[in-house]
Amino acid sequence: MIGTGAHAGFDGMKFHDYDLDAGIYDELFLNDGTPRPHGRDLYETLLEAPDEYMNAVGEWVTRSFTHEGITFTVYGDDEADERIIPIDCIPRVMGGSEWRGLARGLEQRLAALNAFLRDIYGPARIVTDGVIPPDMIFGCPQYRVEMRGFEAPRGIWVAVCGTDLVRTVDGFRVLEDNLRVPSGVSYMIAIRKATKSAMRRLYRRSRVGAVENYGLVLRQTLREMAPEGCDDPTLALITPGVYNSAFYEHMFLARQIGAELVEGRDLVVEDGYVYMRTTTGLRRVDVIYRRIDDDFLDPLVFRPDSLLGAPGLLHAARLGNVSVVNAPGTGVADDKSVYAFVPDMIRYYLAEEPIIPNVDTYLCRRPEDLEYTLDNLEHLVVKRVGESGGYGMLVGPHADAEERNRFASLLREDPAGFVAQPTLALSRAPCLIDGRLEPRHVDLRPFILSGSETRIVPGAFCRIALRKGSLVVNSSQGGGAKDFWVLEEAE
Amino acid sequence: MLARSAESLYWIGRYLERAAHLARLMRQQTESLVDSPVRDIYFGWHRIYGALGRQPHPGPLDTEADEQYTLADSFTLADDLTFEPTTPDSIRNCFAQARENARQVRHRISAQMWTSLNRPYLRLRDIEIQNIWASTPEQFYAAVEADIDTFRGVSSSTMYRDQGWHFIRMGSLLERAELVASLLSAQIAAVRLFDVPADAYWTSLLRLLHAFEAYQQGDGLEVDPNRVLELIVSNPQLPDSLSMSVLGLHRELSAIGQGPDRTATSQARTQADHLSDLLRSAWPGTADPEGLFAEFRDAIRRLHDLVTETYFDYPVMARPPRLGQFDQ
Repeated sequence: MIGTGAHAGFDGMKFHDYDLDAGIYDELFLNDGTPRPHGRDLYETLLEAPDEYMNAVGEWVTRSFTHEGITFTVYGDDEADERIIPIDCIPRVMGGSEWRGLARGLEQRLAALNAFLRDIYGPARIVTDGVIPPDMIFGCPQYRVEMRGFEAPRGIWVAVCGTDLVRTVDGFRVLEDNLRVPSGVSYMIAIRKATKSAMRRLYRRSRVGAVENYGLVLRQTLREMAPEGCDDPTLALITPGVYNSAFYEHMFLARQIGAELVEGRDLVVEDGYVYMRTTTGLRRVDVIYRRIDDDFLDPLVFRPDSLLGAPGLLHAARLGNVSVVNAPGTGVADDKSVYAFVPDMIRYYLAEEPIIPNVDTYLCRRPEDLEYTLDNLEHLVVKRVGESGGYGMLVGPHADAEERNRFASLLREDPAGFVAQPTLALSRAPCLIDGRLEPRHVDLRPFILSGSETRIVPGAFCRIALRKGSLVVNSSQGGGAKDFWVLEEAE
Repeated sequence: MLARSAESLYWIGRYLERAAHLARLMRQQTESLVDSPVRDIYFGWHRIYGALGRQPHPGPLDTEADEQYTLADSFTLADDLTFEPTTPDSIRNCFAQARENARQVRHRISAQMWTSLNRPYLRLRDIEIQNIWASTPEQFYAAVEADIDTFRGVSSSTMYRDQGWHFIRMGSLLERAELVASLLSAQIAAVRLFDVPADAYWTSLLRLLHAFEAYQQGDGLEVDPNRVLELIVSNPQLPDSLSMSVLGLHRELSAIGQGPDRTATSQARTQADHLSDLLRSAWPGTADPEGLFAEFRDAIRRLHDLVTETYFDYPVMARPPRLGQFDQ
């Protein structure tokens, strides 16, 4: 039976093992076991669907992803392995009005982050006004001193942002801003396609916000980022190549936005302009949607051993002859310690209160925060600044004493290298696990695009921690994904 | 089109043509295991390895052996040509290469083309010689041929006819011309080596190159090696003939158009003209067909180099800024 008490809605075997916990927000159910208003249709569909159908659909989705090669690459000890993200075809649903509130919050946040980047690579008023300590910014490895004085096209440093949101019983919070090369949007679209087929009748009668036009919106945004005077820009998407874990996405997006998919070796910089080698000779490139890290973009400026970038690219960008999206140097704004100051940035630049709060963050560089962290390791999540993908992380409540001790000594050695946050009870959504419906923790990564205006398609990459009780949603660490539907309420 | 993408497409054409050719040779060879005399089976292996221009991994070939060894040898040789990881042109490796090139240019080919290549690749990846040998290997090779035919059909009906299409076609035609010329040389060498009345061997060549019916339509059923060669070299209606491939190469070069450098482009076209000349002027009545096929192959390889230099790997003088130019 569901939760602790029986409820009329939960007869049938489907939800037999589905437990509810008052301390964890469930995306489909209220605490009393009745479905949330916007989830009623989904709930009834699940109750009615024959078990065999649900299982067959799961297999079919996996097979079609394999054949279509919708994969990411995991590098093991010996060779690269192309894997597919396990897809759960039960959508997570949200009402349209709640979504619009979130979208406003995301827009607000990105506006502040762009203002922050303009500022810190320019006059750095936020530092002189004492809002953020200077060493937090100028000492951050992601602060690119080479970008000082750079003027991003339209003043937009971050045109493509993927913000990680989590929900607790107290509401949504921002867990992380991804401002460099956020990925996952191709899965959002591929998963939508699969889920639509799997849930065709439900989809048909629900008014689900469309995500399929993301490519067009991205294309529009990138065109708006073109150098001044360039009316019909040539777009290129630069990828590290076929061995990059997100190569599928690069290829997918290049096709969607009508860009050439280039590698550094395809580019030539001449007299301050960027060209690509085509079969008819060199062709000028106006906008580069880059999917490689700052470090590798231009060996003349960043890592000299990089073979992935194009020598002279940054020079061309500085001259305003090519737009590089997102601009190099944006990583400083999604640094795990600088993150703690985003609410202050919103107040400072926009004179507004943050619509979506941060997760409380202890900066271990501060002695009192370090002390608190060391005293409470068993309750906290400790993250290494500058790591991503769920690596270099301690989830206190799930770690053993040995692991906690190891982190304690790491913390004492390099306090500034860590931040700590309370372990959040991430919300859960029903997933099909071995033929049964069980709740699993989920997060949400919507994508925000900023050109001459800010645009957000009503959807997100929704990751699942597939292991029971696990809070780690990263696909490299056993996470899966599911579709996310924004439902327009009937008039 | 991006030069690197064009090169990948060109190689998709080449590798799949190579895989198709080998699959066809192997289907015929495994069919012959059922009912042919041991000697014919060894003839087949000699022709295949001769056409590929290399020795088997497991060691040099005999011309004859005891019946009991023939099947065991054939198992080893089939593995060598189909699955052996260190055989660069094994069928599995050709598929892997074609698929890897396709992965680089997935945004340039139709989604259906990708799927029709990825699916057989995944299947090939997961089987070994034991799996196909246990039942009917010839059906396996026929299925591989069918997979490639499917890819070709899907390409033909779904791919946008831009330069990319023409680069795939060019790769495919160039590879075919080279493979057929090599096969003809190998045929002549193997017939000489086995030194027997060889009607059956010429008939099997006709079948390999989809030419048996065309031959019958000509001057009856009697097998005359010279007429067989004539058909395969010069018949402009036979898809596998050298002359049809060369005609196709002209067509594709002209559809692709000028490269960045006019001189390089015209060199490539002149080389294609040279291939036509070989077939038109040097072939009729030649006393040394093997020598001519060797010359033809060299000319094909030269054309490959010229195509590469003209469209894919042309020199660019880059002048990146000097270090320090960023300091303000």
